[in-house]
Amino acid sequence: MNKTTMIAGTFMAVMAVFPFLANSVWLSIGITFLVFAVVAFSQDVILGRAGIFNMGHAIFFGMGAYTTAILNVHFAMEIIYTIPFAIIIPMIISVLLAGPIIHLRGDYLLVATIGFNIIFEQVLSNDVFGLTGGPNGIFGIDVVRIFGYELFSDTSIYYIAFGLLVITLLIIRNLDNSKYGRALYYINKDEIAAKSMGINISYYKLFAFAIGAAIAGAAGSVFAIQYSAVSPESFNFMQSVMFFAIVLVGGSSSLPGIIIGTFVMFVLPELFTEFKESRYLIFGAAMVLTMILRPNGVWPATFGNIPKFLKKKAVSNVSEQGETK
Amino acid sequence: MKYVLEIENVSKFFHGLVAIDDLTIRVKPGQIYGIIGPNGAGKTTLFNCVTGIYTPEKGTIKYKGEDITGMEPHKIAQRGVLRTFQNIRLFKEMSVAENIMAGCHTKSKQKWYHSIIHTSFYKKDELKHWKKVEELMEFFGLSQFAATATADLPYGVQRKVEMARALAADPELLILDEPAAGLNENETIELTRIIRKIKEMGLGIMMIEHDMDMVMSLTDYITVINFGKEISQGLPDFVQDDPKVIEAYIGSDDDEEDE
Repeated sequence: MNKTTMIAGTFMAVMAVFPFLANSVWLSIGITFLVFAVVAFSQDVILGRAGIFNMGHAIFFGMGAYTTAILNVHFAMEIIYTIPFAIIIPMIISVLLAGPIIHLRGDYLLVATIGFNIIFEQVLSNDVFGLTGGPNGIFGIDVVRIFGYELFSDTSIYYIAFGLLVITLLIIRNLDNSKYGRALYYINKDEIAAKSMGINISYYKLFAFAIGAAIAGAAGSVFAIQYSAVSPESFNFMQSVMFFAIVLVGGSSSLPGIIIGTFVMFVLPELFTEFKESRYLIFGAAMVLTMILRPNGVWPATFGNIPKFLKKKAVSNVSEQGETK
Repeated sequence: MKYVLEIENVSKFFHGLVAIDDLTIRVKPGQIYGIIGPNGAGKTTLFNCVTGIYTPEKGTIKYKGEDITGMEPHKIAQRGVLRTFQNIRLFKEMSVAENIMAGCHTKSKQKWYHSIIHTSFYKKDELKHWKKVEELMEFFGLSQFAATATADLPYGVQRKVEMARALAADPELLILDEPAAGLNENETIELTRIIRKIKEMGLGIMMIEHDMDMVMSLTDYITVINFGKEISQGLPDFVQDDPKVIEAYIGSDDDEEDE
């Protein structure tokens, strides 16, 4: 347990000082890593915790990005004020979309979410209501202004993304220690047992969607800020597959697992840019090998998230027994 | 309140085949009601109808006077009907304490935003229910396993965890589906003692069990079913000597022991 805390602490410390160590190329990779890690964590609430086979997570990420882009470019809203909309709109739409399919069994739900993702991409590419800008997307998104400061440097955007990651981790920690968070685990592990304990399965699954979509929406907003542009191909089916794979490769509902998954899927390919497109072989190979060798992910989740006074009792009881023997 | 559960003329069919045929059973608070019968008699189907997993085609099921026929399982559980399963359904990878905490779900008053922001209300609510988990672990002698994953525990201990989980919800009707299945003699004796203690809490208990010694020593009243039909009912001593029951069991008794 202490080892994990140490690794986590070191990781967060390195991430906090990363902009001072990296050149501009690496800084921009760093921002993408943070944003995608947040999206992966939000997918992990839906897929890892609630066990819902959501293969359309790029929808909520994209919805957040487009909300910021549309409100800023078409309605001249300050970026900072678009963020609440980029959180709430995906959240509401996730519940509306998932509502009619939430009772479906895993594989059927997966196909339905793929369908949603394809529709979403079509809506973006076809410039619906003249808002989404068609296949080229929307560009010319403003810089972030807070209290008269313009945050245009990559370093400041990095810290926005880092802040979002920290908030996301805090939310997930709080979620895991609450009635709602535990309900998601119970549903994932055994639906019939969960139902028989009085847990309303559909309600909690929709809750998982709402939380997941809200966090993904916030990440989308930062993504739009980073590139000052959005386009449909960043939010297509293939992106959803990536977010799905990160969770399974890294380890469902495992915080270090998700970080490792994001690293393997998004940062490693950047290390091998001289191999051009063939570097994506890493994706494929990583997915196949992990599923064969470590079906629960590179760093599987551990349970036993219980208060200290209960743990202490368990330890003292065990040692007492050992003495009497 | 005279009866905690009233099953009135309930029938359940699967693709035209009769699984339960016109059963009427009434359970009083503080009573252990045994349901016995050969394999495939429809006992578990009956329990699934009561807990909402199946909806019976005919008849009504009332819990504390309220009609719960065809209600969704979680709503029935929220009202205070809790169960255990014949083949044990625990959240395997999770610890004993976390499993029992699942039973506190309906009792916890946390709202959705408490999963994001931990207020002082949250802290009180959380502590209250973990304390309850602690009490239940002591009652069942599970404290030493608090942090152990249930999949790593012996069968007999898993049975106790499942019962503790159900009791955490403060049920008024506890449904036990073959609690002694797969247990050795000592474990069965211990379980009998525990069930007697649970009975003292004043809740109604409905129990399917094949271990006849256990049934005879524990239950207050018994209904015997075969092919979905009631063939006998009454006090344990009466049922034991009923020729119809003996007839139903002859030839099938050995199979039962293997289960």
